[in-house]
Amino acid sequence: MLHVKPEQTPLCEATLIERVKSGEQAAYTTLYELHIKRVYGLCLRLLADQAHAEDAAQEVFVQVWHKIAQFDGRSQFSTWLYSVASNIAINYLRKQKNWLQKVVSIEHSGMDEQSANDCEGLNGLDKLIVRLPERARMVFVLFAIEGYRHEEIAEQLGMAVGSSKSQYHRARQLLQEWYENE
Amino acid sequence: MNKPNFDDYLNKSLNTLDKEIPPQKDLWAGIERAIVNNKQNQKKAGTWPKLTAIAACTIAALVAVNIFFIAPEPQPVVAISDYFSARKNSLLVEYENKEALTTNWQTQLQELEEAEQAIKQALKNEPQNQALLTMLAQIYQQQLDLINKVHAPRWQHI
Repeated sequence: MLHVKPEQTPLCEATLIERVKSGEQAAYTTLYELHIKRVYGLCLRLLADQAHAEDAAQEVFVQVWHKIAQFDGRSQFSTWLYSVASNIAINYLRKQKNWLQKVVSIEHSGMDEQSANDCEGLNGLDKLIVRLPERARMVFVLFAIEGYRHEEIAEQLGMAVGSSKSQYHRARQLLQEWYENE
Repeated sequence: MNKPNFDDYLNKSLNTLDKEIPPQKDLWAGIERAIVNNKQNQKKAGTWPKLTAIAACTIAALVAVNIFFIAPEPQPVVAISDYFSARKNSLLVEYENKEALTTNWQTQLQELEEAEQAIKQALKNEPQNQALLTMLAQIYQQQLDLINKVHAPRWQHI
């Protein structure tokens, strides 16, 4: 099993991508090993649910296999992959909602404190992030961790730029409150 | 010892945060199976969207015919309900002996049926309200989608 950071292998990765484009599944396994932890981490922070994050991460790699021909190499593969992953995670959450939640825009709440503490792989700040309510959590993860601009987040989440900023503010307030009460 | 203030804590945490989190179980097996069964899955997935599209066109046609040509005589809601009841019953019979992929699908179906009843109730007062008719058709469609989805093999559940 490989334990190589993606950014350490740009040339190798470009070759891998070409091999995957020609349908070589072994090359795709290597590409998966390079990126799965990062993709899963993103899905877990966005979805705040281990089982959903596992499903979404699988969906990312299945869709990327089918769509890899669309990757033209103008951006870094990792940038393209993580953008696909965040879109899939966001859509995954939408699909989980029942008709009533969709009609009245009910938010998914985050994990409760106990589940966040018990969740494997989460440390420090992550344990607080997964407790945030859905919209605040998504905005916070995309802005503070993934480095997207509010304009990009607003487009991805289908909200106004102002709403993205206010959700970020809300997330910070909740994190501060929990941090100070810890 | 005093805690660092929140801004310092947040900045430090974000700067040192490890973006990689290893999943607790092997996800590759499911991905591999989905990739290998690609053609088969595409075939399976290819049939339902076509059926959905055909159903959606039929509903739209039924609604349009009822509203613009036949109305106010027969109620559009009756035509839509008859059409979907027949489709739903045929699907339920088709999947009767097939194991569902989720255990709570009947609860979800019940929620949709409750929504259907609420819209039908509203349609009693406004039988020609196109927005309500469209919502009713969507609710019916969601019921069909749900029944199909939980009985169709999908890679997510491998």
